[in-house]
Amino acid sequence: MPVEGPSIGFDFSNYARNQFLGERMNGLPRATSTGTTIVGLKFGGGDTGEEEGICLGADTRATGGPIVADKNCEKIHYLAPHMRCCGAGTAADTEFVTNLISSNLELHAYSQGRPARVVTAMTMLKQYLFRYQGQVGAYLVLGGVDSTGAHLFTIHAHGSTDKLPYVTMGSGSMAAMAVFESSFKQHMTRKDAIDLVARAIRSGIFNDLGSGSNVDVSVITKNGTEMMRNYETPNERGIKSRNYKFRRGTTAWTKESIRSLIVSEEVKMTTGAGKTQDGVLDVPVPIGKGPGGEEGMDVDA
Amino acid sequence: MAVQFDGGVVIGADTRTTTGAYIANRVTDKLTHIHDRIYCCRSGSAADTQAVADIVHQHAQVYTAIYGHAPPVATVAALFEKMCYENKDQLSAGIIVGGWDPEVGGSVYNIPLGGGIFRQPWAIGGSGSTYVYGYCDATYQEGWNEEQTLQFVKNTLALAMSRDGSSGGCIRMCVITKDKVERHFIPGNELPRFWEGKEVTGVEAVGLNAADMVIA
Amino acid sequence: MEYNGGSVVAMIGKDCVAIASDLRLGQQSVGVAMNFEKVFPVNDKLYYGLPGLATDVYTLREQLRFRVNMYRMKEEREITPKTFTHLLSSTLYEKRFGPYFLEPVVAGLTTPTELEPKPKPFISTMDTIGCITTPKDFAVAGTAQDKLYGMAEGLWEPDLEPEDLFETISQTLLNAVDRDALSGWGAIVHVITHDKVITRQLRSRMD
Repeated sequence: MPVEGPSIGFDFSNYARNQFLGERMNGLPRATSTGTTIVGLKFGGGDTGEEEGICLGADTRATGGPIVADKNCEKIHYLAPHMRCCGAGTAADTEFVTNLISSNLELHAYSQGRPARVVTAMTMLKQYLFRYQGQVGAYLVLGGVDSTGAHLFTIHAHGSTDKLPYVTMGSGSMAAMAVFESSFKQHMTRKDAIDLVARAIRSGIFNDLGSGSNVDVSVITKNGTEMMRNYETPNERGIKSRNYKFRRGTTAWTKESIRSLIVSEEVKMTTGAGKTQDGVLDVPVPIGKGPGGEEGMDVDA
Repeated sequence: MAVQFDGGVVIGADTRTTTGAYIANRVTDKLTHIHDRIYCCRSGSAADTQAVADIVHQHAQVYTAIYGHAPPVATVAALFEKMCYENKDQLSAGIIVGGWDPEVGGSVYNIPLGGGIFRQPWAIGGSGSTYVYGYCDATYQEGWNEEQTLQFVKNTLALAMSRDGSSGGCIRMCVITKDKVERHFIPGNELPRFWEGKEVTGVEAVGLNAADMVIA
Repeated sequence: MEYNGGSVVAMIGKDCVAIASDLRLGQQSVGVAMNFEKVFPVNDKLYYGLPGLATDVYTLREQLRFRVNMYRMKEEREITPKTFTHLLSSTLYEKRFGPYFLEPVVAGLTTPTELEPKPKPFISTMDTIGCITTPKDFAVAGTAQDKLYGMAEGLWEPDLEPEDLFETISQTLLNAVDRDALSGWGAIVHVITHDKVITRQLRSRMD
């Protein structure tokens, strides 16, 4: 296999080696996963006069095993101007799968001459995920508004989809669903919807170990999409009253090399063939703004 | 499940989708549209059955575009069977196809786990079905009308849902005839109830629905 | 991951970044080399560290050298830290189902351009399959990851001058690595500022 082959897509070449290494040593390295709380709900519509829309929410913790890998990551991914997608599961997979589909949706919109519908995004995602039989570990909440109205879907890694008025996913889904099941109402106002989504995420943040940090909220209506990054920050770090600053010279070092990035050039005035010649008077030439400059050169100073 | 009657079919299913012990969707629609007068009931892996149903749906549309009329139920069922059989190693999909076509009227096809196609007057499938084979065998009669068939489907599903932990929620049913595709929804608190003991029902001995049961 | 050992840490300072690694190369518990650098330059103001399986360090370094050279020739400009991070991420995700056993850390300064006249110092890190995180403070990886997190979380503070950043990152690495059996055996620190890169080998425990 050449370093840069013509093949596209995944490369399985290290698979067998890793399987062997995994058996010989203590397990394979774990990928960053988004032990997550993500939710979405449909609001407005009916005869309330409130415009129909989707409200999505997510926490901002990424984990690698028991370690918090990122305290403020973004789990509400962009798909299209009128579509967003929350991701749970393997972080790299949610990131790459949403990027790929986002790209394909844009091409689809150009070729069809109209914005892609939410079902189109849903179908593209489910067909991609089904092809990889759950190996691509993306668990998604897809929401958006199109010419046919507001739509909300969940998509599991194996490729199954559900269409519901309110959904939750990730390790904090139970905590969040408990909030939705007790308080969800049809045709809520935009404000009530945002409040409920934030409350569901907070329930995940505080009751689920895999979720934490802040609340991200996104609201999509036919008038546009609003992304409220860090809508709530219930876990601000306290300010340190003192610091651990070290006195310069604390650390002992043995060798130093400094690479200067400043390009310097020394200009030496000479006459003749590059040599300073005795008895020859150096006449300094005053320089104006140079050739093409407004003032021109003034030779007779 | 799906049951055939004079002039059409009644198909029905519970509405529970589970991931392990968690109910991922409590109002699932397992009665999936394939064509104007053809539906299927899905059981097994949600991902697999959705994918198969989507593909067969596409084939049915292409069929209509080519031949200018809807495909017969048998053709659609054969399409399902082909997919389920040829990919039997990778799929866990139990599908019942029900629908109406001008050639044979209402018909029901059962396509169990590894493929195979069986035309039956009634068919049940999924995890809860084992609990109610006896009930169906003992109860089903030929010559029922729509009303009676609907009642039979509703009772069968309610019995299966009460015994099977993986089934439950509400009941969705669909009547498919020449003239209509009519959906019925029975919420979880309005399901037919049978004997549960007087401590539960507050009624002595008699089951609430026992009298309504079809013994035509 | 634990086969060869090794750790890398990167930190942001005031108009500067620092990236440091230990120098140990082991074979399980046996130490093999004490001059195994895991941090490599991409260009003047961009460095990256590859802690993990040594064979993959070489493979990926050459792969990246190839791809960065191709980028440089096609684009006729130097790659920015952000772009390089995405290049690295895609390279790792290509091997989604047979990943390199590496957890890269990137640190660099972006040269100001018309579009971005005041770029911020940049660090990033990713998992074995290329999931990017771009912290505002520090990034750690390797067998001493947990200890580095603890040290850095306590010692780091915003807006450190290059010389202060050097002390902070050095103490973070040294003290974390002393509690990790698979990392240590010397350390090297690079402090990148807009006009120079200071590289220092640290004096450390050699056990």
